Order: sequence, then C-alpha cells, then structure tokens
Amino acid sequence: MSAFSDPEIIRMAQKQYIAVVGDDWYQRRRDDEEGRFFRSVADQGPRKGLGGTTRQGIYCFTAAGKLLAYCNNIDPEKMRNAVKKGLTEWRLLPESERRPGEVAVDNSPGSDARYSRRPPTDGLILNVYARILDHDAKGEVCAGSCKIVGGDRASRDHMWLTRADWKSLVPDRPVSGATIPLPESIADRLVRYHLVDNTRGEPPLWQREDVRSRHLNLMIEHVSDSSVKMQLEGAVLLATDADVTRADRGFDVQLLGCLRFDRRRQAFDRVDIVAYGKHWGDGAFTKGARKGKSPLGIVFELARGDTPADQVPPQGAREIAEYLGRLNR
Amino acid sequence: MMFTKSMILFSFSALFGLVSSLVLADSKSALTAEQFEKLRGLIKPHPGEDKWAEIPWTSQLWDARRQAAAQGKPILLWEMDGNPLGCG
Repeated sequence: MSAFSDPEIIRMAQKQYIAVVGDDWYQRRRDDEEGRFFRSVADQGPRKGLGGTTRQGIYCFTAAGKLLAYCNNIDPEKMRNAVKKGLTEWRLLPESERRPGEVAVDNSPGSDARYSRRPPTDGLILNVYARILDHDAKGEVCAGSCKIVGGDRASRDHMWLTRADWKSLVPDRPVSGATIPLPESIADRLVRYHLVDNTRGEPPLWQREDVRSRHLNLMIEHVSDSSVKMQLEGAVLLATDADVTRADRGFDVQLLGCLRFDRRRQAFDRVDIVAYGKHWGDGAFTKGARKGKSPLGIVFELARGDTPADQVPPQGAREIAEYLGRLNR
Repeated sequence: MMFTKSMILFSFSALFGLVSSLVLADSKSALTAEQFEKLRGLIKPHPGEDKWAEIPWTSQLWDARRQAAAQGKPILLWEMDGNPLGCG
C-alpha cells in the first residue's frame, strides 16, 4: 500500500494508465479468456506460476497483451522506476500499436463461474475495516503501532448479504422492545469470516470449532410507519483450542451496532457495527502480531455499492458456497 | 453487637458476590454508545491514509483492457494474493 501512496506513482497511474487490481487467487486459476489473457502477460515476466504458484506483482502491459514492465517490490522507488519504465516502453512502440481503437477487444469474453465473483443480486455490501488498537498513557483507546509496514493502517474487506439474508433481519411484524437472535447464516458469516485480523495480510479464517461462544442479538428499538430501528449487541469468544489459555490464536470480542430499515423503500439505509476486543496470535500470512493479547477493532458499514472498489468480493468468498452458508453442515 | 456465624458467613458471601460481579462486569463490559462512536472514528480509514484510493482502480481486468484499447493507454495491474483493494 505505501508505494501507491507515492505522489508520482499516483499521478502516472491517474493520467497515463488504466489502473486495475486483481486477486491472483482467482486470476491464476480461471479458465476463461480473461484468465488466459492475464497468464499470457504474466508469463512474459519472471513469475510464470509454475506448479500453480503466485503470479502477484505490478504489471505494465498493453491491451494487446505485451508486457512493458514488471515489479514485485513495495519499495516506492523501485515501483516508481517500474511504472516509469512501462511508460518508456509504451512510447517506444509503433504508433499503430498505441493508437486509440487500434486493438480489438472482445465484448463478451465469457467467464469461468468457478473463479469469478459478483455481489449477490439485490444483496447488501458492507465495508469491513479492521485496525490494531492500543491504549495511550491515560488509558484511552488509540491506534496501535506495528513493526510490519502497513500493519498499523485500516485493512479493508467486504461482507456480502444476500436478499434473503437482509430480509431475515426484519421480522414480519416488528415489535419495539423485542429481541431476536441474529439469524444463523449471518452470525456465522460475520464471526468466522470477518472477526479476523487482516491488518498484515491474508488472515486465517475461523473454523466452526473455533467458535467457543457466540451471543449475537438484535433488539428492536423503535418501530414506525417509515422505519424499524434495531440494535445489534453481543459477545463472541474465538480460540483455536478448547482450553482458551492454551490457544495460540483467539479473539475475545464485544459487538454493538445500529441498523435501520426503511419500510417505504424496503431497504436498509443504515448498518453500523463495531467489534472490539482482545486478539492474539497470527497466521501464515499475517506474521508479526504483537505479543500477548492486544486490542483489535473492526467496523462494518453499508457500502454505496456503485464504485469498482465496492465490487471486490470478500476474502472469504473464495469458497462462495460455504461463505453464503449454502453447504450442508 | 455480637455477630453470629451465619451473619459473618452471609456478609462474606455478599461481599464476595459484589466483588465477583464487579470483576465480571469489568472483564465483560458491553460497549457503550460513547465507545461506539470513538471506536468507529479510530478504526475507519483516516483522512489521507488511503492515498492509493486516489487512483481510479477498476477491479475487472477485461474492462481495463477494453478501456485501454479505446483510449490508447497502457494498463497498470496491481496483482496480489488477496485483492489489493481488500485485505491489508
């Protein structure tokens, strides 16, 4: 992330490139035109994905598929040089290869459904941010610090709710003061896929047996002709060992949230949830966790859903059937 | 005043219960509305933290290819395990 905060890189990316992101887990597997195109570009560089290994990196290439430059280094200077080299190589190409409209691109390339993901139709997309926290000299909660570059920043993910999911949040006849359990599929997804420390990389997700306790309820605060306001509250204990004191990874977390359903639009116009508690341990790709138990905070909020970034699937959506609770338990 | 054994035991029990509930309340205290707002502000991306978001990233490679062909520009692809606009 830090290299793409470099002003010169940002300027080049904004003005002189078409900028795109890709999750290599999908891209190196998909068996469709897009996957084949990507791999044909990547194979011109040093990472040829032998044995199914990653092809991650920064690629500069033409719409016709000619690689111009490659870099797999987050150092801003190295990345800046690679992005500049891409432009230099681009300008050296014959004008016939650079002219707008010169390269024909198929409008309907087809898609390998196993490795392409779109948000559920009529579903909800929630932004999910996580940040390591700490306490200042006065004992007040503050942002934490991390020896891993970028580990102190807010991480990002999305949570998807299907139409059936969000409809299940609102009782047919809501009554002020009533309390209902958070529907099982949503509770399971929120806990196992999103109460995770992804601040330093791809996080390990929680297995069902890691959920030591889970109490998540919706309290209906107010009902009117126009809206239903609800409060989510609860607590979850996650640990990789039944004896929590021996667990090498865990999260002891409280949750509080505000949800509002617009009855006239038949849509949620507010979902704001905070999860806060003590987390410990790390995963294969999230090394460098602070020692012992330390505060971790997670926020869920309604995304607008109309930007390219909003379309990025949840990390957990790689196993989409399980993520959406469609596998038999 | 003479304290009977049962009075002493009752007092200890009451005191123990009070201390226990305070300890339990402290270790399992629910989030308050004030904490909620403060934590939201702390956790969400801070202004200026996500300069990379100033780049108009698309998340669909084929769309990027179409745009690049139409506009006569090269493509800059940020490819990661885990979507770069997602975790970490």
